[in-house]
Amino acid sequence: MSKNEIISAENNITKKDFLKVFWRSFTLLGSYNFERMEALGFNYSIMPALSKIYKDDPDGLKEALRRHMEVFNMTVAPSTFVMGISIAMEEQYKRDPEHFDPASINSVKMALMGPLSGIGDTFFWGIFRILAAAIGVSFAQTGSIVAPFIFLLLFNVPHFLTRYHCLFIGYRNGNSFLQKVQSSGQMNLFTYCAGIVGIIAVGCMIATQISVSCPLSFTISGTEIVLQEYLDQIMPRLLPLTATLIVYHFLQKKVRVGVIMAGIIIVGFLCGVLGILC
Amino acid sequence: MTIEIWQALLIGCVAALTALEGDFLGECKLREPLVTGFLVGLILGDVRQGIIIGGQLQLIWMGATGIGLSAQLDIGCGGTIGTAIALMTNSGAEVAMAFGLPVSILMQSLNVLKMTGFSGIMHKVDRYAEEGNMKGMIRLHYFCGFITFLLYCVPTFVSVYMGSGLVQTVVDSLPQWAMDGLTAVSALLPALGFAMLLQILMETKLIPFFIVGFVVAAYTDLTMLAITLLAVAVALVMYWLKSDRPAGTLAYEEEEDL
Repeated sequence: MSKNEIISAENNITKKDFLKVFWRSFTLLGSYNFERMEALGFNYSIMPALSKIYKDDPDGLKEALRRHMEVFNMTVAPSTFVMGISIAMEEQYKRDPEHFDPASINSVKMALMGPLSGIGDTFFWGIFRILAAAIGVSFAQTGSIVAPFIFLLLFNVPHFLTRYHCLFIGYRNGNSFLQKVQSSGQMNLFTYCAGIVGIIAVGCMIATQISVSCPLSFTISGTEIVLQEYLDQIMPRLLPLTATLIVYHFLQKKVRVGVIMAGIIIVGFLCGVLGILC
Repeated sequence: MTIEIWQALLIGCVAALTALEGDFLGECKLREPLVTGFLVGLILGDVRQGIIIGGQLQLIWMGATGIGLSAQLDIGCGGTIGTAIALMTNSGAEVAMAFGLPVSILMQSLNVLKMTGFSGIMHKVDRYAEEGNMKGMIRLHYFCGFITFLLYCVPTFVSVYMGSGLVQTVVDSLPQWAMDGLTAVSALLPALGFAMLLQILMETKLIPFFIVGFVVAAYTDLTMLAITLLAVAVALVMYWLKSDRPAGTLAYEEEEDL
């Protein structure tokens, strides 16, 4: 596909313009702040399209720039989907300003932020990052130089693909696509199956990557008893599993992460000094 | 190891990169300790040890996901400074953790200040938007990036360059019992990360798969990659069983075989 391929004939928006939006979308968090969050980043990303749509209409452009300074905040990878849908809606407004209410552009953006962030966080923070890091760490343990590269590749290939395709899917058939996905329950099933991979990986990492063990030993009537050997007979990696489940229990009880961390540091340090854990 | 001024400057740049990666490179995860460990190792001339320490820090911060509460940790800057200090003092991941953890908490507070400050800039952006001044808006967008660069690069440079002698003294004077305590903490802390992951992923329907993952890893010698591939296979089977494709009849037959 050539870069000059026309994507939107009515406003002469080319593939090149969409690629600009794609690359600019990487800076979404650049000016993140508590008041408008990602608004300026979002605005900057879709500017190439906006300036084509409102080429001969400076007032329309100003209005659009102001419109997209409203609060926007979502997980970054699928954010291009919302950009695509916004561009399509801006075109719709330009085409039919009498009947199209521009306020609906921001309502659609607001409506998409939550659900898309939920899906995006699960996949990118919960699954891709974990799998990539887990496999990267297993290489890093021997100091292998490929470790950081494997990690970055495993994470960023799905990341870049999602970002790229979401832009075009959002632009071409954003609304119908969402309706289809939500009504058929395909997304739930997909998330569930991805969750299977994620949860197996987490179970696996709890067994292999938490190194805590108990070095206590006693001598009873001439025989040395090493506690860890008995623990291993019950089940290997019992201590890492127990520790994780205890922390999980506190997290479920909504104890603050900082408090839990302080607790782990104090308990861990004392147990280390006393020779109970290492 | 004494640190040259250019090494400290480059480490400052790595710290800035971990912040700008999220802001301007679409969260492509250059901030993770696996990557910063490699970069800091490269700068200080010990790539192998850098990657090993990075890998261990990665486990400690596995659950620092940047969502909600857990965003209290700036793992990018913490990992960079922690690894640098461990390499400079010829020590292991325990020391990296002992210095990196406070840094990651401190930098997150600085981050909160930064995001508050940027709110003020938005009013200027509003004015530019009313004038249709796109160039001005873009300039401010990148100006924020410049501020972020300074906020991360300068403190990291100063603390790594000025603090290296002091840190060496502290590390040298640590008694054995304190090192034992730190070792136990760094062995135990990954549990927090994995528990936080469980919190994101866990639902009742997934418990059987969690058990499978743990048991396979605990009782066999299969590597992480092998288990992950098995997990993908299991997930595919579940997908086909549950999706109501035209091949639905086939799906039922398979279910009976199981």
